[in-house]
Amino acid sequence: MQVVWAIFGSALNIALVLSLAPLLHGVMRRITARIQSRQGPPLLQPYFDLLKLLGKEDIESGETPGMQRLAAWLSLAAVLAVACLLPMGFGAPLNLAGDVILLIYLLTLCGVSTLLAGMAAGSTYSLIGVSREMMTMITLEPLLAMALVVGALHAGSLRLDAVLNGSVYMGGSVPWSGLIMVTVMLLSLQAFVQRVPFDVAGAETELMEGPLMEYSGPKLALFQLANMARLVIYCAVFAGLFLPWGSQMPFPLGWLLFWVKVFALVLLVTLVAATHARYRIDQALRYFASLLGVSAVALVLATFGY
Amino acid sequence: MPEGFRGRPVFDGNKCVGCGGCANNCPARSILIFDVCQELRILQYVGGRCTYCGRCAEVCPEKAITMSREFETSTNDIGDAQQRMELFMSTCQRCGRCFKDESALEKLKLTGYRFDDLQNQRWIFGAGAYQENQPAVKDIFIEMDW
Amino acid sequence: MIARERLNQLKDKFGSAILRADLPSDRQLFVWVQPEAVKELCRHIFRDLDARYVISIGADDRPFSGKFIVAHDFAFDTDHVLCSLLAQLPGDEPKIESISGVVPAANWAEREMRDLVGIESVGHPYPKRLVLPDGWPEDVHPLRKDVPWNHVPPEFKEGASFEFEKTPEGCTVVPFGPFHPTLDEPAHFRLYVEGEMVRGCEYRGFMAHRGIEKLAESVMSYNDIPVLAERICGICGCVHSVAYTQAVEAAAALRPPPRAEYIRTILLEMERLHSHLLWVGLACHIVGFDTLFMQAFRIREPVMWMAEKITGNRKTYGLCVVGGVRWDITPELKAELNQTLNKLQAEWEPLVGAVSRDKNIQKRTRGVGVADRNVVKNAGAVGPVARAAGVDIDCRRDHPYAAYDRVDFRVITATGCDVWSRVVVRMKEVFESIAIIRQCLEKMEPGPLQLEIKDELPVGRIGLSSVEAPRGESHHFVITGENNRPRRWRVRAPTYQNLQAVPAMIRDQQIADMTISLGSIDPCFSCTDRMETIELRSGERKTWPQKELLALSQGKK
Repeated sequence: MQVVWAIFGSALNIALVLSLAPLLHGVMRRITARIQSRQGPPLLQPYFDLLKLLGKEDIESGETPGMQRLAAWLSLAAVLAVACLLPMGFGAPLNLAGDVILLIYLLTLCGVSTLLAGMAAGSTYSLIGVSREMMTMITLEPLLAMALVVGALHAGSLRLDAVLNGSVYMGGSVPWSGLIMVTVMLLSLQAFVQRVPFDVAGAETELMEGPLMEYSGPKLALFQLANMARLVIYCAVFAGLFLPWGSQMPFPLGWLLFWVKVFALVLLVTLVAATHARYRIDQALRYFASLLGVSAVALVLATFGY
Repeated sequence: MPEGFRGRPVFDGNKCVGCGGCANNCPARSILIFDVCQELRILQYVGGRCTYCGRCAEVCPEKAITMSREFETSTNDIGDAQQRMELFMSTCQRCGRCFKDESALEKLKLTGYRFDDLQNQRWIFGAGAYQENQPAVKDIFIEMDW
Repeated sequence: MIARERLNQLKDKFGSAILRADLPSDRQLFVWVQPEAVKELCRHIFRDLDARYVISIGADDRPFSGKFIVAHDFAFDTDHVLCSLLAQLPGDEPKIESISGVVPAANWAEREMRDLVGIESVGHPYPKRLVLPDGWPEDVHPLRKDVPWNHVPPEFKEGASFEFEKTPEGCTVVPFGPFHPTLDEPAHFRLYVEGEMVRGCEYRGFMAHRGIEKLAESVMSYNDIPVLAERICGICGCVHSVAYTQAVEAAAALRPPPRAEYIRTILLEMERLHSHLLWVGLACHIVGFDTLFMQAFRIREPVMWMAEKITGNRKTYGLCVVGGVRWDITPELKAELNQTLNKLQAEWEPLVGAVSRDKNIQKRTRGVGVADRNVVKNAGAVGPVARAAGVDIDCRRDHPYAAYDRVDFRVITATGCDVWSRVVVRMKEVFESIAIIRQCLEKMEPGPLQLEIKDELPVGRIGLSSVEAPRGESHHFVITGENNRPRRWRVRAPTYQNLQAVPAMIRDQQIADMTISLGSIDPCFSCTDRMETIELRSGERKTWPQKELLALSQGKK
């Protein structure tokens, strides 16, 4: 029974992420357009874009085409693997196959695949993009890890179901560490989903998409889909970790509520992205570093049970 | 689209007297004239290079050119953008080809018979004829007033 | 008569070197000097009299006087005088001492003179090719009169490429351009980068070859050229056409009717409006703030519609002919224009507020792309770049043309020297432009639009004209000629000088700031590249050999 559920649940999560990610992206573009007094593209435009890209010739432009193809598939595969590990309105399908540590690794792998993509392409701008991405990752990934560890400390377990269930708020009467972490994560969410003001690695007007500069056709489609899915995944992690309310409701309600939360987070990301200018890499790093300091305080508080 | 929008110029063959003022004042050199014989002058508007500046309509003494409001003139066939008029020229008793323009700056630079290259759509003009030993156009004789 | 005073000053110091002088008005001064004294005179004018360097012009005058002409233009901004130092060089050996050593801003102009007219600047500090493509033969100079306008040198070497300097120790090369999303036109900066810091750069531009000046000097006629001049630039087209016509009018001592002057002023200011709105939007786009970019463009659009209503086209106005303008502003258009301006002002104020309050934009632009007074002086930078460095110059006030002497406006300056100051200057200038248009509409009297020109224009006269384009001063130099067309027409777009300040602006900055620094001068490469000759039919000229391009685009390090 459990095996059947794991297979069915994983398939459902993957299918939902793959099919809803472009739609959410479409919503994002549409809302951005409205903020900018434009009409904006139709909601389904991202699907058409992806289909068009997939139908194009697969050009092997860089020096290591095999590596480039691997990077493209890896980025999507990593995101989808995370999708199987997350509770999306019901328990995580592969609950027992891994723990929070695996989740951190897989999320890092998403970033690593971008690095790989940039390095494999090997043009100057890709390499600058890669070095920026690397710097961002070094300061950013610990933030997520700390948030999950705070949750794990409170829950007293590394199990996915236990941690991704609002566990950060379990300490004391006033959950100080959880409140600090939720603020920190809200402030850095833009960076995790690589939107303005923290899209320094792929900054279009500076680096011409950075690591992805050399990609076109189907490979670009995979990267783009992975990128859209990444937005959903991070919103889902955020919802699981910090917005647990209502997840215990019976199946259709709790499930719907989960997607409403994800949608709300996407909306938030869109609004922030539309009203900010891009940071420079050094400014961004300084910002992340200060957040890192704050979250270290939260971690200490969590170890003492607050 | 506003009232005075400058689109593709339209030539009215009934009004045109064939003075060639438009051809001489066209900055893009996209109005060509070819004299088949004394009585027949071909005036060809080549739309491809036209910038819709409206100078031709401005200098036309007979108001035979109007600026239409057409601007979506992209086409697969370059011939669509062109307009060709075969004008019957009645002979002036004095010189055959005399039309005075009012302004010195709009003075006709080429008078007499004109043989622009209709096939290749090129104006014949005296480029490079700065130094005495250099003829303006080597293969075709043009009567010029300078 | 300040021009005469200046002339007397020069005469006192360099008596014998000054051959003759011409004072067609108290705003223009032409001094013919001996070629040997040019360098010393330039040093005196540029350093001691603190004039602003404008441009150097080389002209082939052999068919008429048997000589070459070199002109160095300077501007005495506080005295309201434009001054041209002219020297005649022998027709068989055109050589003159380089002034780039004492006037660094002349660097490009002298290289261009060598490329196009073949006048050698002896002792030039950086005697590399500037304008011509790398495969072009050494001894063919396209702007000489014996080179036909459609000449294709058979010796053209297809594979030749530009030789860059050696990469400095410890730096990697980042090719910026010829194609880059923030470069709207092709230009190439070879950045020497250490980590994320730019340590130096080398420029190779002039890739869009259109041969505009050669065309004007060989096939167009006086009244055709304004339409051609308008196409020098996609943004400040009207500026170039007005500057050209004014230069011709100055040479021929014509004065257009007052109504025509007012209409020119109105359309120049409308052009400034839409250019400033565009640029502020673009600056926001470069730093990643697309919402303000879109809003700025939305606000800008009605200005374009208004221009379309007045002139029949939203961008290429086709406004000027020698001695007047072609379009009138009817009372209905006047009322509509007033409404548009009211709406614009009402919408622009909140946007200025939004930009000024935005910490994010300021973080990206403050202290970035710094060009101080010294850089401005030495590069000859103009417009918002100069005004943002506290250099109080504006041709509209300093060298009044059209109807600018009859309207009141403030010249906006700032002291930050950085990109942010340029943003502030341009944002505030919008309000001044609105005020100028309102005053013009108010003061304009009915009257004729064009001067009646009965005679042919005089031959061999020189005219200068400076027009304040949105990005800075556009300077045109015209020698009138035979056949109803000028002998020599030299266009100096503001970007020509401002671009020379860019290497100083981006040195020791982050590579992320490169785009906004370059964007802050509002570079217009088509203005700058306007004059290379090209064979119109085949277009076979390539500055950038394919091999090099491929190597660049794939090159590691």
